[in-house]
Amino acid sequence: MLGKGGKRKFDEHEDGLEGKIVSPSDGPSKVSYTLQRQTIFNISLMKLYNHRPLTEPSLQKTVLINNMLRRIQEELKQEGSLRPAFPASAPPAAAAADPLGSSSREAPPAFSQPAPAPCELGGAAALEACLTPASLLEDDDPDTFCTSSPAAPARLAPPALLPPEKDSFSSALDEIEELCPTSTSTEAAEADGPKGDSSSGGPGAPQRPEGLQEGGRPEDPKLMDSLPGNFEITASTGFLTDLTLDDILFADIDTSMYDFDPCTSASGTASKMSPVSADDLLKTLAPYSSQPVAPSQPFKMDLTELDHIMEVLVGS
Amino acid sequence: MLLSLPALHLQTSEHHPLFQLPHGRLGPWCSPTGSPAPLSCETGCGEGTWILVCRLLVPTQVSLLSMEEDIDTRKINNSFLRDHSYATEEHFRLASFSLPSSLLHWSKPPPSRTWTVVMTYQQDYLSPCLYPLSALSDIISTVEFNHTGELLATGDKGGRVVIFQREQESKNQVHRRGEYNVYSTFQSHEPEFDYLKSLEIEEKINKIRWLPQQNAAYFLLSTNDKTVKLWKVSERDKRPEGYNLKDEEGRLRDPATITTLRVPVLRPMDLMVEATPRRVFANAHTYHINSISVNSDYETYMSADDLRINLWNFEITNQSFNIVDIKPANMEELTEVITAAEFHPHHCNTFVYSSSKGTIRLCDMRASALCDRHTKFFEEPEDPSNRSFFSEIISSISDVKFSHSGRYIMTRDYLTVKVWDLNMENRPIETYQVHDYLRSKLCSLYENDCIFDKFECVWNGSDSVIMTGSYNNFFRMFDRNTKRDVTLEASRENSKPRAILKPRKVCVGGKRRKDEISVDSLDFSKKILHTAWHPSENIIAVAATNNLYIFQDKVN
Repeated sequence: MLGKGGKRKFDEHEDGLEGKIVSPSDGPSKVSYTLQRQTIFNISLMKLYNHRPLTEPSLQKTVLINNMLRRIQEELKQEGSLRPAFPASAPPAAAAADPLGSSSREAPPAFSQPAPAPCELGGAAALEACLTPASLLEDDDPDTFCTSSPAAPARLAPPALLPPEKDSFSSALDEIEELCPTSTSTEAAEADGPKGDSSSGGPGAPQRPEGLQEGGRPEDPKLMDSLPGNFEITASTGFLTDLTLDDILFADIDTSMYDFDPCTSASGTASKMSPVSADDLLKTLAPYSSQPVAPSQPFKMDLTELDHIMEVLVGS
Repeated sequence: MLLSLPALHLQTSEHHPLFQLPHGRLGPWCSPTGSPAPLSCETGCGEGTWILVCRLLVPTQVSLLSMEEDIDTRKINNSFLRDHSYATEEHFRLASFSLPSSLLHWSKPPPSRTWTVVMTYQQDYLSPCLYPLSALSDIISTVEFNHTGELLATGDKGGRVVIFQREQESKNQVHRRGEYNVYSTFQSHEPEFDYLKSLEIEEKINKIRWLPQQNAAYFLLSTNDKTVKLWKVSERDKRPEGYNLKDEEGRLRDPATITTLRVPVLRPMDLMVEATPRRVFANAHTYHINSISVNSDYETYMSADDLRINLWNFEITNQSFNIVDIKPANMEELTEVITAAEFHPHHCNTFVYSSSKGTIRLCDMRASALCDRHTKFFEEPEDPSNRSFFSEIISSISDVKFSHSGRYIMTRDYLTVKVWDLNMENRPIETYQVHDYLRSKLCSLYENDCIFDKFECVWNGSDSVIMTGSYNNFFRMFDRNTKRDVTLEASRENSKPRAILKPRKVCVGGKRRKDEISVDSLDFSKKILHTAWHPSENIIAVAATNNLYIFQDKVN
């Protein structure tokens, strides 16, 4: 990044950020604050997951970056703009945990204590949480839906919080969408890094699923927006050969009916979880994903089908 | 590709036969050139001015390239260094061209107290076919004076330790006082491979700590990320001659040819300095060792990694005692790591360790076996006006040092140096801004990872001046009594003859005065992380990437 002895030139974009710090209260600087936060968030993720050193990465650096990510997540959560259903204590530290303790283990059960099951549970519950709005639209009874799944792990916040916050969420989403047109590429680039290690195994594999998981967990709407990038790459590497997610989900999404992302990310999240878990999950998912052909079909999938998927996720 | 390391550090004296060239000794390689060039600079420090005593270039590593094939350079270099006492003639022949020429500046001490350049070493590569190879391995990663200041040890990224010895004062050459010449070089650590994690273990020397001298030999501890080694550096100037069963070359004699018996006698030989590893303390750290500290009882020492601190006895290498463990049961909850640790200079039961959250804990080993509960906790409350995304990262302490008196501790975080009184835990007694102009650039520094740079800080012998490094090869000194400070630069350009070392200034505002440098022109790849101060005199050693500068304050 720095030429030897070369004069440092600051990116104009970032230079603009430097001066405006903090104080998310007033209007115009709130935008720049959010922008800066978003930038820092992206940089942090890139640092964690793009770096592939020959030697062990510095634990201090990893911990500091993780703390930064966690703080931003907390802030975003506090602003109430995101799904509180995602595990609050989401393992950004899992990324730290893994290279430290268990990087020798092979791919799937790469997280420290929680086995893949909670992650799938997390995904399932996330799915479930995401499903709630859909269920709300069709059936005005979120509570039954919430309690129907026995698998909700303790980690998850009640998904019932979601409906009231839909409005603030969507408005925040729109706001951030205006501000950050370029972060999609950043996320795609970020996904590239961890993606490339899918075949390498060893320390690479454990970090990659966490990278993807990390990509989903932080409740950043912008991140959700850019998840499509993740999946296209996922599909293209052949890992999920049976799935044609990009065709199905991201071609022409009619967002007028669903003015927030959870539904998109729901199936996305589920698919994202697939590389992490066992291959069976993949295969069970495949038939379901391949069924719909029209772009907006996943959103119109029957509740029962989604329910079935959820059970599959929860069950394995 | 030729190996130049030993030949470059040749001495005029007879004291280093180790590097004796087959064609005879080199002529004096430190000789005055031209007329005396007074090099001085005035500082506002009240300490006078600093002069460059010597700039010693750690030579870049080159490899032997045979005609037939490419030889693994690393292997050759390392083995050469290890067997330096048995270096063959061939090695030296190949290296013989690389004669350094040094420029010695005699400076007449000006009336006031000034820092002047005593000596500069410059390398002249006479042969065009010398290619410095793997220059990275020569980045100096630690600098440390021993307890008398006679020896200066540097460790580099390639796992080598180079020890410099101060030239003894002699009546006829009083000006030579303050020169440091190479005393010994050895390969301390080798790169290793952790098969379980499929990761390399760097051979970079993280820290060197000297033991106080108890006999004729010198002992030092050197550590990389995982292993601590105790090295003995000793001189040999006599050898036995006249063995009965062996001839002069060491070959066994045929007993039938022995007709008389004789008693072997010790005859003087050319001085040889040899370094031998006496202890290897391995396999005790899961995480990367960042500090080692010798206890004042001189029997134990501690090694600290990111999450644990172990107490060792020098005599026992297969066991260590864990005295601090901050590893959480669930690694996902990890938010804080240990960044530095040091024993109290006088109380062998007390030590401090700093964390990545800007806190310092003082522990007393008498309180309990596992010192997870601190005796004192030093933390300054956060300044709300300076709060930013990076508050936590810049508060991470990169170095902690006890004062020589044992009453204060000094901590270095990214932008400041703080002095704490051990008796006051809630805030430091002094705070010095090292490069506050970087506060507005933190986002970019975060992106290019400079924000994670670990600067060290040092006290002078009397605890009145503290020094630390910065970017652009700047280093800063703060006088605690007069509250004055100075910024100096350690660079090649300023060490030329007739050059005047000036205090530097970084301008923050729009108007840049003539000798000032603007923040945007700072070179962030030239950082001074490691410095050392002589324990009793005003001599400092500054490591700038792969150059070592020695400055001295000349008092009249």
